[in-house]
Amino acid sequence: MSRSGLHSAFIAGVLAILPGFGHFYCREWQRGLVLLLGVPAQAAILYGVGLMWLVIPVGLVWVWSIWDAVCLARGGKCSAVVVCLLLLGVNLAAAWQVTQVHVPKLEPEQRNVIRQILLGLAKPDVAERKTQEQTAVGKYLVPGVGAPSSLTPVKRAPGEPTLKVSPTRARKGERLTVVGSGFAPNAPAEIILLGADEVVVAETKTDSRGRLSASFANPRYIPGVYYVQARISATVRGWQLSDTLKDAAPRMIETVYLALIGTALSVLVALPMSFLGARNLMSGTAVLRGVYILVRTVFTILRSVEVLIFAVIAVAAVGIGPFAGVLALAIHGIGAVGKLYSEAIESIEHGPIEAIRATGANDIQVVAYAVVPQVVPQFIAFTLYRWDINVRMATVIGLVGGGGIGYQLIQYMNLLQWRQAATAIWLIAGVVMIMDYASAVIRERIG
Amino acid sequence: MTLRIEHLTKVYPDGTVALADVSLEVPKGQFVAVIGLSGAGKSTFLRCINRLVEPTSGRVWLGDVEVTGADPAQLRLIRRRIGMIFQQFNLVKRCSVMTNVLSGRLGYVPTLPSLLYRFRPEDLSDARANLERVGLLEKAHQRADTLSGGQQQRVGIARALMQKPELILADEPVASLDPATAHVVLDELERMNKQDGMTILCNLHFLSLARRYADRVIGLKAGRLVFDGTPDEIDDARFKEIYGEEAIRVEVA
Repeated sequence: MSRSGLHSAFIAGVLAILPGFGHFYCREWQRGLVLLLGVPAQAAILYGVGLMWLVIPVGLVWVWSIWDAVCLARGGKCSAVVVCLLLLGVNLAAAWQVTQVHVPKLEPEQRNVIRQILLGLAKPDVAERKTQEQTAVGKYLVPGVGAPSSLTPVKRAPGEPTLKVSPTRARKGERLTVVGSGFAPNAPAEIILLGADEVVVAETKTDSRGRLSASFANPRYIPGVYYVQARISATVRGWQLSDTLKDAAPRMIETVYLALIGTALSVLVALPMSFLGARNLMSGTAVLRGVYILVRTVFTILRSVEVLIFAVIAVAAVGIGPFAGVLALAIHGIGAVGKLYSEAIESIEHGPIEAIRATGANDIQVVAYAVVPQVVPQFIAFTLYRWDINVRMATVIGLVGGGGIGYQLIQYMNLLQWRQAATAIWLIAGVVMIMDYASAVIRERIG
Repeated sequence: MTLRIEHLTKVYPDGTVALADVSLEVPKGQFVAVIGLSGAGKSTFLRCINRLVEPTSGRVWLGDVEVTGADPAQLRLIRRRIGMIFQQFNLVKRCSVMTNVLSGRLGYVPTLPSLLYRFRPEDLSDARANLERVGLLEKAHQRADTLSGGQQQRVGIARALMQKPELILADEPVASLDPATAHVVLDELERMNKQDGMTILCNLHFLSLARRYADRVIGLKAGRLVFDGTPDEIDDARFKEIYGEEAIRVEVA
């Protein structure tokens, strides 16, 4: 009420036509400044993104500000909640337009990709039935100069499949029949003419009793002995890891190791720096305070640049591969881990420091006996947490050439191998979940 | 060795005058209780003596060594001679009782071995003897925060004993303890005073405890020395002078 005598409501209202000036008149500096800068800025933003119709609600804010100035002059103050909600609504609407949120119309090709990925996720390529290769060899003769007069029988161990070629002599173009037995039943078979170049001369299948037969025209004309091989690939009991998994698993291990060494390198640098970045240890003299500010600034800069940006720079500097990823994680990690370490040091109890100092211990001993024991559990927890984050980061880094499973994944996707890509995605999800859970359990234990 | 304090003043950066021109002489072997309200400057007073808090002006002498003029290295040598006990015990909670006790020896051992937690055999046997003395030898390898408050304070005493100090500064050593436990702790301080001849400066909340244990009582009010005498000399008028007009005497068994 003290203001009612001092400020004219009319003057306040007239001044408030310029946003904020009515408030300045009533000595409401903060709100006045926000209005003076905020209202034009908001209008300019909406104009900039081409949403002129949204300027109308901003006009309502302007009207409100005049009314608010009048209220102030009369000694009251209006609630800004409605205005804040209005502006939130305006900006949500603008954001919706700017980011082009819409229900996508999918082209058949896009549908197919999505279907393939979903199918792959439902049925990842992790294992396949074990197969066993069985072979048997038979031979025949192309008669002529230099060829032996007769064939010696093919040696074979008991229980192995056999293959017979008939007739045993054939000129070029004559039909030969092969009959085999002792193979796995119902398996696809290839009949191959061995030599400097392997020629598949026939394809067949074994019957339910493991027998096969096929015929082909003899393609050879040079006199000599020729070998015919039947090769079948039979599904046997048991499963084996798929080739995708055999390719992707080492890349996944590479990612975990990449994250590990990236974390280790950042800890190596951040650990000593964090003590210099702890305010409670560095408040003694102006020099110490200066070092503190410098260290914390470095941490902030390193932390505020995304890992992905470091990764792009590192790939340019040292080339595609895991080392680029390591560098990116290490540099960003110094800032992230360093800040957490420093804050852990800042949050320790001061009492033990005082007690150890009172015994006549020097500064190094004070740190070793009063600071370190208090921060070690938190340091371990933060480091594990960082490793955990870095595994996830390392995956993304791989997409831009930083090595590991991410690099493998982007290759699968570029080759449109969706099922393989889905397998890699499952692998990443599995490992991240395990690490997430394990590090949570460990942090719980040592906390 | 006499503790001599001349015109000791402490003004904090925010302008609070915690200690104003306090002068005092404590002869060797005295048990001095420092009483006064919370915020009267008792803690600052003790901390200015071993310079955990840097006095703004005034001088402190321990025997013929001037504490206030000492450089950092000399200060550490002086601090070895002054044991300190705290209201919140100030043990390193995650460390074992034994490590906490041994840390009292840090002023005597070279830096490098101490960083590796290596102590001399005589330090180890001293630590065991001091734990035995406070009745906690069987707890030596437990973590400090598994102990009760009274036990933790006795570990704090054992840590101070490791320094073989001539002077003990006890900052509200029993304010966080129940009355029965308080007596166990103060009995131990009394034994250090009577048996080992250590000078004791002990901040206390309760006058009754000061009467029971101290040879001499000094009263602080708003940083000024308002009383200096024997416990018997504190009558109602003196009491109101120290604790303020509205205070009522509360007796603790």
